[in-house]
Amino acid sequence: MSDKSTALIIDDEVQIRRLLSIVLEAEGYRVLEAESGRQGLSDVALRRPDVVLLDLGLPDIDGMDLLKRLREWSRVPVLILSVRGGPEDKVAAMDSGADDYVTKPFDSGELLARLRAVQRRAPLGSEDPYFQAGHLAIDFNARTVTVKSHEVKLTSTEYALLKVLAQHAGKVVTHKQLLREVWGPNAEEQSQYLRVYMNHLRKKIELPRAPNKLLKTEAGIGYRFVLPAGG
Amino acid sequence: MLDNAGPDPAGLLAQPAKTTRRGYLTQKFARVMMAMNEFVLAGILAVLVTAVSFLIEPFAGYLPIALLYLLLVVAAGLKLRRGPVLALAATSALLWNFLFIPPHFTFYIDKLEDAMMFAMFFVVAMAMGHLTSRLRLSEMAERRRERRTAALYELTHQAAFATDLHTGLRAAVSLIESISGAQVALLLRQKDHTLSEAVHPASSFSLSENEKSGAAEVFAHKTAAGRLTNPLADSEALHLPLQARTAVMGVLSVRPRFDKAFGPSERELLEAFAVLIGLILEKDHVVEALKRAEILEASERLRRALLDSVSHELKTPLSAVRVGVDALSKQTVNGREKEATLREVQSAVRRLHRVIDNLLDMTRIEAGVIEPKLDWCDVGELVCAAIELAGEVLHKHRIVIEADEALPMVKLDQPLLEQCLRNLLINAAAWSKAGTKITVCGDVDGDKLVLSVLDEGKGLSESDLAHIFEKFYRASDAQPGGTGLGLSIVEGLVRAHGGTVRAANRETGGAEFRLTIPVETMREGVMGELA
Repeated sequence: MSDKSTALIIDDEVQIRRLLSIVLEAEGYRVLEAESGRQGLSDVALRRPDVVLLDLGLPDIDGMDLLKRLREWSRVPVLILSVRGGPEDKVAAMDSGADDYVTKPFDSGELLARLRAVQRRAPLGSEDPYFQAGHLAIDFNARTVTVKSHEVKLTSTEYALLKVLAQHAGKVVTHKQLLREVWGPNAEEQSQYLRVYMNHLRKKIELPRAPNKLLKTEAGIGYRFVLPAGG
Repeated sequence: MLDNAGPDPAGLLAQPAKTTRRGYLTQKFARVMMAMNEFVLAGILAVLVTAVSFLIEPFAGYLPIALLYLLLVVAAGLKLRRGPVLALAATSALLWNFLFIPPHFTFYIDKLEDAMMFAMFFVVAMAMGHLTSRLRLSEMAERRRERRTAALYELTHQAAFATDLHTGLRAAVSLIESISGAQVALLLRQKDHTLSEAVHPASSFSLSENEKSGAAEVFAHKTAAGRLTNPLADSEALHLPLQARTAVMGVLSVRPRFDKAFGPSERELLEAFAVLIGLILEKDHVVEALKRAEILEASERLRRALLDSVSHELKTPLSAVRVGVDALSKQTVNGREKEATLREVQSAVRRLHRVIDNLLDMTRIEAGVIEPKLDWCDVGELVCAAIELAGEVLHKHRIVIEADEALPMVKLDQPLLEQCLRNLLINAAAWSKAGTKITVCGDVDGDKLVLSVLDEGKGLSESDLAHIFEKFYRASDAQPGGTGLGLSIVEGLVRAHGGTVRAANRETGGAEFRLTIPVETMREGVMGELA
């Protein structure tokens, strides 16, 4: 981040806005605040923030509706902040175009990591043929995967799965999205495929007994490729 | 006429009681016919005995014939009604006089002793006829009483001691049906103390609109009405109020088959049944009310426990946060103190978060809004995720996972079970010393997933085993902190998932919590098909 990124906080709770401003400014963001959905929409249009933090419980527009309207004309990364923590709420938000979801009360470290992840635009695949995270390295050109410098053999499906997760590293990828991207649009309901292949994939790329796994299950939502801290 | 009748009772009263009069006449006619039959029978018997008398008169003379006639009267008195018997007695006297006392074929009597004999015969025959028929009547009444007592006993036995009210009522209805030979319908009082519109399912017929309004009238006025009773003479069934000690609990409607009317003794029996059913219903009502009161008291107790426990559990970490933040805002705090204070504040915030989550979960369970969303899941992954969810609480323990690598995929609500397992792990960590082992076992047994959490703590007391899954239950030696909700949440969630949770002591010491969840497992072949 050479320039300062601009973050827009859309939340009606002034205390949350103030505290988030402090945290984000300390991290080098320029912060905009909107206290209503309407103001938030016009701020996105006029001031073009680099990332939006959206609370779902707004007084004037339902957060989910706002998200859908926003997605009609903008691709700005959106991180949802909400007290509704059920998997179905999260999946609904992701389906409406959110990039990730953080449940209140949240940990500020986690929030910042998610913000960085959703801001990482233009998936690595097109520009950077190499991907490295902890002990794992992927060469997208050669279609090879190495764990601690040893090449592991992945089937084409396993590779496709890993590629999608790595391209969205740090962000949660929903079951639906994974099934669609790896198996095609007709497989969206076939979640058992996904479980079986994730299982195989994990056995091949995760280090046994490592406390921090690369592929994290977001129960009821999807999977997240966790970027190791500092990696 | 029946169709036009509205629910207005006055309208019903104003209509001519045609059906009733017809019924009454039919009944009267039947009774007359029966009496006629008996008269005819008495006549035939008289003729028979007279014929026999003619045969024996040449040998025995006319005096024993009087005894023969007396025998006939006594025998008839045992079987026939009073009228025919008395008629038979008089006829016998006259026949004897006319046919056998000399001079024959006249009513004139020569001798004084014959005249005395005839007079005495007449009196004795009449008296015998009267006495025997009275004997028969009282015997019949006795038999009726006996039958009635037996029926009432039967009803009490079947209905009052039935396991639940509905089987009891069903037994009562079928008993009344078999005794009275009529169709029976029950309309019960509802919770709002109005009469139910629909008949009780045990009923053997449903009421017409007319009968319904008749029943409603009976319910309102607490007096029997319907067939052969005023004022609602028009309706086809007889309606009896289920009168209990304090209120009318409903209406018993009886519709005779074959248009036969109820005699007074049948009416009386039906009324006794109605009272008994009323009492049974009242008893049930009282028992229900008592149960409700108990539940209310229990929920009141729960509310108090909730307030005590929650206010403590919320206020303690909140004060820690407040004190910590106050300390941090002072300039005098040095680096090390600042770090320690921050750690305390963070831990208090986490605790607050946990309490609030627990309360929200409990509320969701109580509201019954939890619907498991089943999806395929890997057991190993489930266990690992639960351990991760439990977080740093487990850092001082050795966690061992015992699960077969080759377990099939199972279909369940993963987030829900992760939370159950997490709560069990947190519980295990709280009850066993740092450094001890906590084992998580996962196994699929047929169509059941069994997950157990075993610790090396000091196990559970008798009282723990009995109450451990109750809301706000806390073992007497529990560490401070905790709402006593964690395990009841596990129980609630597992129940919502159709499974069970059991607590037990291990033979080697420590406690074991075992979740058993019914699951669909993935067929063996699927893995191959996918590859």
